[in-house]
Amino acid sequence: MIAIRNLSMRLVSGGREVSILDDISLDVPAKQFLAIVGPSGSGKSTLLGLIGGMDTPTSGAISIDGRDITKLSDDELSRLRLQKIGFVFQSFHLIPTLTARENIAVPMELAGDPEANAKADELLQAVGLESRGHHYPVQLSGGEQQRVAVARAFANRPAILLADEPTGNLDTTTGEQVIELIIRLNRDHGSTLVLVTHDPALAAHADRIVRLRDGRIASDDLQHRASGARP
Amino acid sequence: MTAFVSRMAWRETRAAWRHFTYFFICIALGVAALVGVGLFSENLERAIQREARSLMAADVELRTSRPLTPEAEAVLRRLDGRGVARMQVSELVAMAAVPSGTQLVELKAVEPGYPFYGKLRAVPEDTLTALFTGTRALAEEALLIRLNLEVGDTLKIGHAEFRIAGVLKKEPDRAAGAFSFGPRVLISRQSLAATGLVQPGSRVTHRHLLKLPEALSPKAVQGELAATFPDKTVRVSTYQDAQPMLRRFLRQLTMYLGLVGLIALMVGGIGVASSIRAFLKEKLETIAVLKALGAESGTILRVYLSQTLLLGVLGSLAGAALGAAFQVALPPLLKAWLPIELEFRLALLPFVRGMGMGLLTTVLFALWPLLEVRHVRPKLILRRGVADEALGSPGRMAWAISGLLALALAGLALWQAGSWRAAGLFIGALAAALALLSATAWLVVRLARGLSRWRLQASLRLRRGERGVPWRTVRLGAPGAGGCKPAHRSPFGGAHGPPLQVVWRQGLANLYRPGSQAQTVLVSVGVGVMVILAIHLVEQNILWEIGENVPTDAPTFFFIDIQPDQRDAFERLLVERGHTDARLTPLVRSRLWGLNGQQVRRESYEDREHGWYFTREYVLTFLNELPKGNVIANGQWWDGGGSSGLPRVSVEEEAASRLGLDLGSTVEFDIQGAKVSGRITSIRKVDWGNMSTNFYFVFEPGSLEGAPMTYVATTRVDPQEEVALQRATVAAFPNVSAINIRAVLDSVAQVVDRISLVIRFMAALSILAGAVVLAGALAATRFRRIYEAMVFKAVGATRLVLASTFAVEYALLGAAAGMIGAGLAIGLAWGGGHWILDVKWRFQPAAIVWGIGATIAGTVLVGFLSTYRILGQKPLPVLRRE
Repeated sequence: MIAIRNLSMRLVSGGREVSILDDISLDVPAKQFLAIVGPSGSGKSTLLGLIGGMDTPTSGAISIDGRDITKLSDDELSRLRLQKIGFVFQSFHLIPTLTARENIAVPMELAGDPEANAKADELLQAVGLESRGHHYPVQLSGGEQQRVAVARAFANRPAILLADEPTGNLDTTTGEQVIELIIRLNRDHGSTLVLVTHDPALAAHADRIVRLRDGRIASDDLQHRASGARP
Repeated sequence: MTAFVSRMAWRETRAAWRHFTYFFICIALGVAALVGVGLFSENLERAIQREARSLMAADVELRTSRPLTPEAEAVLRRLDGRGVARMQVSELVAMAAVPSGTQLVELKAVEPGYPFYGKLRAVPEDTLTALFTGTRALAEEALLIRLNLEVGDTLKIGHAEFRIAGVLKKEPDRAAGAFSFGPRVLISRQSLAATGLVQPGSRVTHRHLLKLPEALSPKAVQGELAATFPDKTVRVSTYQDAQPMLRRFLRQLTMYLGLVGLIALMVGGIGVASSIRAFLKEKLETIAVLKALGAESGTILRVYLSQTLLLGVLGSLAGAALGAAFQVALPPLLKAWLPIELEFRLALLPFVRGMGMGLLTTVLFALWPLLEVRHVRPKLILRRGVADEALGSPGRMAWAISGLLALALAGLALWQAGSWRAAGLFIGALAAALALLSATAWLVVRLARGLSRWRLQASLRLRRGERGVPWRTVRLGAPGAGGCKPAHRSPFGGAHGPPLQVVWRQGLANLYRPGSQAQTVLVSVGVGVMVILAIHLVEQNILWEIGENVPTDAPTFFFIDIQPDQRDAFERLLVERGHTDARLTPLVRSRLWGLNGQQVRRESYEDREHGWYFTREYVLTFLNELPKGNVIANGQWWDGGGSSGLPRVSVEEEAASRLGLDLGSTVEFDIQGAKVSGRITSIRKVDWGNMSTNFYFVFEPGSLEGAPMTYVATTRVDPQEEVALQRATVAAFPNVSAINIRAVLDSVAQVVDRISLVIRFMAALSILAGAVVLAGALAATRFRRIYEAMVFKAVGATRLVLASTFAVEYALLGAAAGMIGAGLAIGLAWGGGHWILDVKWRFQPAAIVWGIGATIAGTVLVGFLSTYRILGQKPLPVLRRE
């Protein structure tokens, strides 16, 4: 599903070259729930962004379903995300000028789905916000905003869901609810889930935990759990 | 996908309508200007078409300055048999006298049946018929007021006494020109003979009006007459060419108005560009999110382009409505002076053109910033501080598309102007002005940065106690004096008012900091200042030239139509009354007949630019001495001595170049049927502003003997002597008309004032657009301003300090925009005056200083209105949000 080979990312910052990711190789089979953990600055968000085609690495390859995405143009990457990848961000990134329902409908509208609105209503219901569809992001609480973002991420039934610290801006209880929602929807949709977090409690839900330190993989452990898909 | 684009465009507009208010107003103002002028010009054109026959009062007119020859009369008589109705109208200036005073009038003598077309309005209604039953006259109200007359009273014109039968309100065919010599008096042609005013050489215009039966086309009759008429000096025209001067003038007026309107639209375009840029800066996150969700660049571009188009259409529609409303405001400004009634009607074409230009401008100016959305990367949202991300450069495609749009816009400008030359000049000048403005604006911003750094270093050096501070530091620091003092007091000042150093530094810094809109503001406000100030400068120059530029020894009175046998008596009368400076100059009316042996065919010059040099009537004279204000540029003046062969002639420089004359060329004039030739022996420069009698052609004495001539007398008259002198001359010489130069110039000044009022009305729209751009630019930086202001407040700045900071920034902006605009206005006014209007240039420091001052005041006012609410904000909520 996702195959990463010798991935490196270096940035020039303040006149010095900084290595963010250093020779990462990693395979994520379909339907796996992978948690990437590590201290801040370890490169986990960058890795997630690169998997989603949000940036181009300095060297190395990332294949999704056998296709090297590091060679794709901006627009090809956009099409790839539209068809295969859903994102959940730490700071929600809802479009402030759109209502909750419209935010959820956007990916489906982009894909030309004529039933975008009806499906958006279903998704609203799935995340428990059926009565909040006409509200704008500023009128929603942080937890509600993130639930809208989760619904949006699942809108086009993506094969891969990428979540970047999805509970980072939420209090503990709300965070729990959101992560449970993500896991439930992921299970229902049968998608591959890559979750970046620094919270061990969240990572404990995953099938597999990859630990990053200074841009390198420090450990890679499979979790033996009763539930969840197994590689 | 299209559904998504339109839906998303609508959602974005719905949410950001406040943001687009400035965008909307900018486009609306520009389109309003163009649609307003377009409709005005259409209505004028239609009114002229509708009233064309009335404007001539006939189908065909023969116009000449002398009575027809018997052969010519015979040609006209032959038309009678074909069902053509005919009448003659004579027009001349004359003196009207009553025991208590005199007044120069424009006399018009008509025959029964006048006018063939149109309606003469008088009170009482039916008085026109009364004219033909004795020596009666219709007079305009102005004459009755000036001479304190009433209907039924009598007045003397020439040798005849007229009873005033009624008040003349409007005549269909009165020529609309820049000025009139006086009120109109209408009499019958029969009684004109009794006045004794028409004598050989008198300045009379004879018009022969023809009314054709249905079967005859005016064009055909015109062609036939032009070919067969024995007198080639007669001008034959059809009603379609009625009032050529008026038409040409109105065409030019509407063209200039259109171009001024176009400037308003361009300023609006700058506002559009800055609105879109500011909007997209706020939208970076949304764009990045959309890309992260899988939207392609093209889709996003289409979303914002659709939105821009939607707003462009809405703005253009609003502008079109406003432009239509101008039809209520514009005609009254010209009403007193236009011979035609304008009615309020809407035409499609001006709307289509105005809206087309509005949309094209919108797209042209919006495209550049819009294309930059392609370069927004989705990774932006993975990082903080999204808003500080700089937009990339738009690339080659932007250049190509912008070039295409600019061409399309130039095409529309051409359509608007209706002339290649005018449109080309305009586009060239505008492009040059915009380039110059942008370059200067850039320089000003750089200068502000340099100045600020330099001040900082200087003040640091001062604090360290270093010596040898350049003297300039002291001067630059002077406004605050703070720059020169060690800062022992609080940086925000104590009890002694705002701390000028902080205020100046911050105000200056606002001009160049990242995201500053100073350049946009400088350009758009500068353009507005340029236009309005240039118009003002040109107007002032014209008024100065016709008003104050008159030499102090110039004559103030012209007495015209003095017959040769009255010459000596008239001179004696002037001398007896103390006017020893009086000069009497002979005048011989003529037309150009031949150049270097070649006959001049007026048909071939009729439609040419400057063709009137060939077709006009020339007033010739013969003089012994070179007239005052004349300088020989080439050749020699005759100093006595006779000449062998052709008489010697001196020609004015401009006429020589237009007619292709040089030393040695021969000219032939037709003087009332007789031909007189001469050889050019000198070319003169003439100062036309000297307000004396000036001539294109001067013959040597003795060469025009026997030609029908009149004399003109010029003299200076004290204001208190005017009435008495006029009365004395009219009593002794009833056929002589006294023209008061002062009164004539005043009427010209009035017309200039009217016209410049109309043009200024249009120019005000570009200033307004500039103000909107300024307000929009300030709104775009609002969040940054609020944040900074709150940081200042948090560390102890008072509202006065904040307000002073803003004031310094706006005043600096205004001063820079004013100075740039004024500089360009001087160039524009000089160029326009020199190349187009032929007006002498005079530097007018007062107007320029006033213009700059007004710009500063306006900028500070608009700036405060846009930002004063920031002052009252509370720091905590603002800073916590950040």
